[in-house]
Parts: sequence; C-alpha cells; structure tokens
Amino acid sequence: MRNLFSPSRAALLLFFLAAALLPLALDPRGHLIRVAAMVLLFAAMAQSWNIVGGLANQISLGHAAFFGLGAYTSTLLFLKLGVTPWIGMGVGAVVAGGAAALLSIPTFRLKGHYFALATLAFAEVMRVIANSLGDVTGGPVGLSIPFMGSQPALFAFRSVASYYWIILGLLVAVCAVFHLLASGAIGYRLRAVRENEAAAEVAGVDTFRVKLTASVISAALTAVCGTVFAQFTFFFDPDSIFSLSGISVRMAMIAIVGGLGTLGGPLVGALFLIPLEEVANAVLSSQAAGLSQFAFGVILIGAILIQPRGLMAYWLRTPWAKTRRAAATGA
Amino acid sequence: MIQALVDGILLGGVYGVISTGLSLVFGVLGVVNFAHAEFLMLGMYVAWFAWRYLGLDPLLGSALSFVIVFAIGYLVQRTLVQRVLKAPPAAQVFLTVGLMIVIENAALMAFGSDYRSVSVPYQVEGYRLGDIFVGAPYLFAFVAAVVLAGALWLFLERSWSGRAIRAVAQDPMAATLVGVDTRRTYALAFGLGVALTAFGGAVILPYITVSPTVGGQFVVLMFTVVVLGGLGSVAGALAGGIMVGIVQSLSALVFPIQLQNLCLFVIFIAVLALRPQGLIKGA
Amino acid sequence: MQPLLQADAICVTFGGLKAVDGVSFSLNAGEIVGLIGPNGAGKTTLFNALVGLQPLTSGTVWLDGERVCGLKPHKVARLGMTKTFQNAALFPDMSVKENVTTAALLRHDLKGARAKADTVLRKLDLTPIADADVADLTFPQKALVEMARALATEPRVLLLDEVMAALTPAEMDEVMAVIRALKAEGLAFLVVEHHMRAIMALCDRLLAVNFGRLIADGTPAQVAAHPQVIEAYLGHGAAGKEAAHA
Repeated sequence: MRNLFSPSRAALLLFFLAAALLPLALDPRGHLIRVAAMVLLFAAMAQSWNIVGGLANQISLGHAAFFGLGAYTSTLLFLKLGVTPWIGMGVGAVVAGGAAALLSIPTFRLKGHYFALATLAFAEVMRVIANSLGDVTGGPVGLSIPFMGSQPALFAFRSVASYYWIILGLLVAVCAVFHLLASGAIGYRLRAVRENEAAAEVAGVDTFRVKLTASVISAALTAVCGTVFAQFTFFFDPDSIFSLSGISVRMAMIAIVGGLGTLGGPLVGALFLIPLEEVANAVLSSQAAGLSQFAFGVILIGAILIQPRGLMAYWLRTPWAKTRRAAATGA
Repeated sequence: MIQALVDGILLGGVYGVISTGLSLVFGVLGVVNFAHAEFLMLGMYVAWFAWRYLGLDPLLGSALSFVIVFAIGYLVQRTLVQRVLKAPPAAQVFLTVGLMIVIENAALMAFGSDYRSVSVPYQVEGYRLGDIFVGAPYLFAFVAAVVLAGALWLFLERSWSGRAIRAVAQDPMAATLVGVDTRRTYALAFGLGVALTAFGGAVILPYITVSPTVGGQFVVLMFTVVVLGGLGSVAGALAGGIMVGIVQSLSALVFPIQLQNLCLFVIFIAVLALRPQGLIKGA
Repeated sequence: MQPLLQADAICVTFGGLKAVDGVSFSLNAGEIVGLIGPNGAGKTTLFNALVGLQPLTSGTVWLDGERVCGLKPHKVARLGMTKTFQNAALFPDMSVKENVTTAALLRHDLKGARAKADTVLRKLDLTPIADADVADLTFPQKALVEMARALATEPRVLLLDEVMAALTPAEMDEVMAVIRALKAEGLAFLVVEHHMRAIMALCDRLLAVNFGRLIADGTPAQVAAHPQVIEAYLGHGAAGKEAAHA
C-alpha cells in the first residue's frame, strides 16, 4: 500500500471529484452536461479498449463490434421481449464477451497489423449482418427506443444529469477494473506477453489464456458502454454504431492521444478530444461537410508523429510524477 | 455458372492490380497501409475529371491517375510514412488510419458527397460467346489491368529502380551497402503502390460510380486479396484478385447482395487465422 | 532409476533442412550435462524443441515419466522444465524484480511471487539491482536476471543457453558456484556454452552435436577424445587455443 497519496493518485481523485461536482454547475437538461456525459462515456470506452490495446498491446480496430453488440442486445431484448435494459446490459456484456472469446481463437496468434486487420473485418461483419437482417435489427434504418417518461427501472430518465451520474459510475468501474488488471497478477502477465511472447511462455505464462481474459473483459465492458450509449441517445443505426472511424478508431485514438496503457490516458484523451471535436463540429460543420472529421484525422496523425506515447508522457515527465515507475501502469 | 466464373475473372483481374499496390507497399516498407483504398478513390476522381473536362476516356485517363497519385504518394511517404517506419505497429496503424480519414474527408470537402459516373460509348455494349456474355467495360478494364501488371513485372525485373525496390524488400541493409538509396526507394515503392491502385480505380470508373466513401467498399476486399495471395507477393496478389473476383460473383448467385461482402470477410478472417505463417513469410 | 529428462529420437525439420536429426539422450536429477557443437549445429533449436517453443517433427520427450512433447511452453514450465534465451529475452519495460516475479506467478499468488522473487534474487546476488530497469543492465547482468527468472518457475530441469558468454572469469566462477549449489539441491542442467573451461569444470557429461546429429555422449574426457568431435568441433584449432587458456 505504498504511494497511497502519490501525485498521480491525487490527480485521479481530483478528476473524479471535479466530475462528480460538475452537474451542480450545469443546467441538468442543457447541452453542456450532454457533452460532459459524452466525455465520460468515451473515456470509459477508451479505457475498455485500453485493456486490450494498452495492456496487451493488441491493436484492435474492431471494438465497435462489441459496442454495437451491447447496444443491439439490450435494445432488442427491450423492444421485442420487454426486458429492462438493466438486465439487457448484462446479457449484452455476456454476448460480447462470448464473441470476443470466439474471435480470439482465430486471431490470438496475430500481432500488430494482422490483428488490426482481423478485428477491423470482424466489426465490418457485424455491420453487414446488422444491415441485412432487417426483420430483427431494423436494417439500415436502425432502432429507436421509445421514450415513455422517466422510468428508472427501464433505464429511462428525463434529466440528462441522471445519465451523467450513471456514466460517471460506469467510468469509475471501468477504471477500477483496469487498475486491478494492471496492478494484479494478470497485469504482470499481460506486460510480459506484450513485450516478449516466447519468453513469457517459457517463463510459465499461458499467453493464450491471458490474452483471452483481457479481450473478454475488454469486450464485455465495451458492450456495457454500448447499452448505456443506446439508452442515452435513444437511437442508433448499424453504420454509426459499428463505425470504424466513429467508434473503433475513436476509442483507440482517445487512449493513444492520452497515453497507451496508462490509467490516466483515456481520461486525459477524452477530456482533450471530445470537447475539441464538439467545438470543431459547432464551428466547422457549417463551413463544409467533412471538415471536422478531417481535423480529427489531422489530430490523429499529429499525435502519432509528435508524441506517440500520448499526453500522459508529459505528465510522467514532471518531477512529481517521476518518483515511481509504477505510475506508468499503476496510477 | 460459367457466366459467373467469367464475370469473376474479369472483375478479379482488376482487383488484382488494385491490390498489387498494397502488397508492394507492405513488401517493401513493411507497413500495412490502411489508407490505401483512399488512393483508389483519388485515382477515380482524377479519371473522372479528365473525362469531364478533357474528354478523356477513363481507360486513357488512368495514365493521368497513375502519374498524379504517384506524385501524391511519393510526397506522403517522404513527409509522413517515412517517419514511422521504425515505430511500433500501433503508430504505423494509426498513422495510416489517420491518413485514411484525412483523405476521405478532404475529398468530401473538395468534391461533395455526390456520386459521379462517366458515360462512355461502350458502357452497355458487350460480346456474346455462345451463352456467355462479356460486358465491354469489364473486358476493357481487365485488359488494361493485365497490361499494367505485365508492365509492373517488367519494371521490377528489368529496370535498375525496380531491382532496387526488390533488393530493399529483401534486405534493406544489404541494399544500402550496394549503393541503393533506401529512402528514395521507399518513396518510389509507396508512390508506385498507390499509383497502381489509382490506375485500377480509373479503369473501373465505367462501371463503378465514384464518391468520397468509395474507398470503404474496397478496404477489406483489397486486404483479402493481398492476404490470400501472400503479403508482399505481386503475382500472388493477381491470383488472389482473381480468386476474390470469382468468390464474389459466385456468392452473388446464392446470397442477397448485402451479404456478398460477408463471404469475403469470413474468408479474410479464416485466411488470417489459418495461414499466419504464410503471411509472415511474405514479409 | 528412471532419468528425469529423456529425449527419444527427436527430429525438427525446417522445410527440407533437418535442424535436429534423431537426437536421443537422457538427463538425471542433479546432473549437469553440457551440449557442445559448432555454431549452427542445432543446439538452440534442440532447446526450443525440448521446452515446446518449436514443434517436433517426430520423436518423444519425457519429463519425469510424462510426455511433454506437443505441450505449450507454459505447460512444460509447469511440469518443471524451462530455458534461458541466448540473447537474454527479458521484458524490457519491467524492473528486474518484476521480470522475476512474473515467472514466480507460475506457482504463487502475487504476494507469494514477490517473496519468491526476493529469494531468487538474493540467491544470485541480484538484490542490489532488484529495482533497476532491465534496459539499464549490462549484458552479464541480463544473463543472470534471465537465469533468475527461469529459476523463479522452480524448475527441475533448467536449460541454460550461453549464460556465461561475456562474463569475466571471476563472474563465471560465481555463476558456476550457483549452478553447483542448485545441482546439490537436485536440479538438473543442460548447458550450452562456448567457454571450454566452464564446460570442462562444470559438466558431469557432454553431448556433442553436429549438423543436428548427436555424435558423442560421455564424460568430458571421453567426448573431447572422440574422433568425430575432434573433426567436427575441435579440429579447427579452437580446442587447442581454449585448452591453452584453461
């Protein structure tokens, strides 16, 4: 229990404290709290991705598949069978975890580019299936969740602030999972696998199982984010929910811009990118279609070329964060 | 059935040329270029504008596509890709993904989201051989693709630059020792790779409309072709292209149109899974 | 007595090349056996085949009566056999202790693994550099950490691939003392080493390989005198030089 009050932990606590107090300052039905909720949701998504992308260094370009599975599972269970999305959220997590386990079988040997390609194709498969099974999924039109007043038991609220709290809770939970994984036995194993797979095996690490565990947990958490997203926005369609640039790349990009494999990375990344995008959208979308996306791509390229280790690298370079190397993975 | 086979081969030849470029870039630079399909889109736009304002048939305009996109590719490699050649895969993946987003949206801003097509006199013509009907635009595109593939082969085998490219692909260090400028060769290979793809985009313009998002339709297709044929292998990409063309037109007989690509994705993941050693060997 | 490790006619082929060609040998508990042969003779491939990094083309490997061929390396490690890598394949983003702890997790929970890592580091005199970044180590230190990591899996058979390369004579003596102490605890070693002095001083028995084939198996003196060994390995005058050093 050393470093209970390390600067990194203090910064983290400060972040969550500020996040918890923020709704008091904002109009509970306004636009700003919506943006703040999106920041937290994308931070949670990026943190989920970070488990696979950062800890195991498996560059997934297909996490939209799990996000969409979460959204579709809970929404379809609700629309067709009347199951509350709270339960649907759990079912979605199980479905996505199962899908991740299945996908692990053909892809666990793949590294780097190949893994990225295979996961990208998997998300595309999901998108194509959702588009073509019109009877079940509503096809390209997408699904809408009818709003029938505030019903907490059905995950429906009139006030944006309620969603904000739920999303904040989700983010805290995802960060806790990440921290437990990173600092626990599996964290050691994941780092070993990331750095030298053959040596990890010889040192007794079951590399397949370690990667499988990470991808299942990561997928399940991503699916939970998907359900929350669906409830929050009331509407989604296959092309947006399984989107490569809108979801898969964005999740990864937030983690990378913030700092790959670090606990704080996704938070910093989301805090930086989502408001930036919001502003870009507001200012630029009237100028020309595509301009804000263009800017998004430019930022991604810039981030890779200028500081591939992410914004967290600047924090870790400061004298008060330097004290513990564990800061990079722990807190 | 035979009709589908013929359609598949004609389509596949073009896929082959399109994907050869991607394979070449990977073989030489070791970078999987996620933005590659966007250069196809650029090639299609160049050919479209050449047709619209210069009255050039896309089959001729394809030369223009080749040259212009080559120049763009050369610059992109020198200014951006070169800088991540030694970086970890994550940096390479996201640099090219960023490039993909940038090019697609630049096109959206410049050209709007309209679908554009050309009209050429042979568009609806064709040749009948017994029961088999061969559409003229498909046939011409196939012939153009085969001619270009032949030219590429000659270039790689015979010219000094081509041999330099192959040398760098095999062993950059040794190539440097015998006097090859690897940086220039990398840029040359990247330019050539995207130019081949742009050429392929131009010759299919008579039967495929162009829009800023057309690249998205080809991303997985190109990667499937390349992976089937073995990454880095030019001849393999051609064979892979024809295989994918056949699979596509045969699956069109069985599945509804939306599920056609699904077959491709499944093959893609399966090949990645079953022959990873084959892929790595290609590198 | 049943040998601890037994290899029966194992073969590894790459394409048409037979890297390991019908090698059979056995290793007893508490025995140190040297594996010698010219570069490219197939020593590292043999090691990889034994621990499961390299699939066998044919043949069988028994570890204490259990078939271990076809098992993944972590299973082989679990059953008590592991190896070190020729060029010290440590996990570069971890500290020395974290490297060793990772391996100790094979048989302990995190707390136990940390304690185990401390014990192993102490045994190899590595405690002073426990918190150092692996990237900052010298090559001999890396080789020792690699050995510590292997020991943390609590093996019964340990395959050492040139851990003593680049060591000074004094350091070499230290490592040999550690190996002998472990041998006294019943650990069995298969050792690849180019230092003839170390091999002769350390090993109870030698195996000589060339072109993937086992050409001699016997005491160091017997193997050194074996005509095929002299021809294949010692014939180039290297033996004379090494012997002079020793």
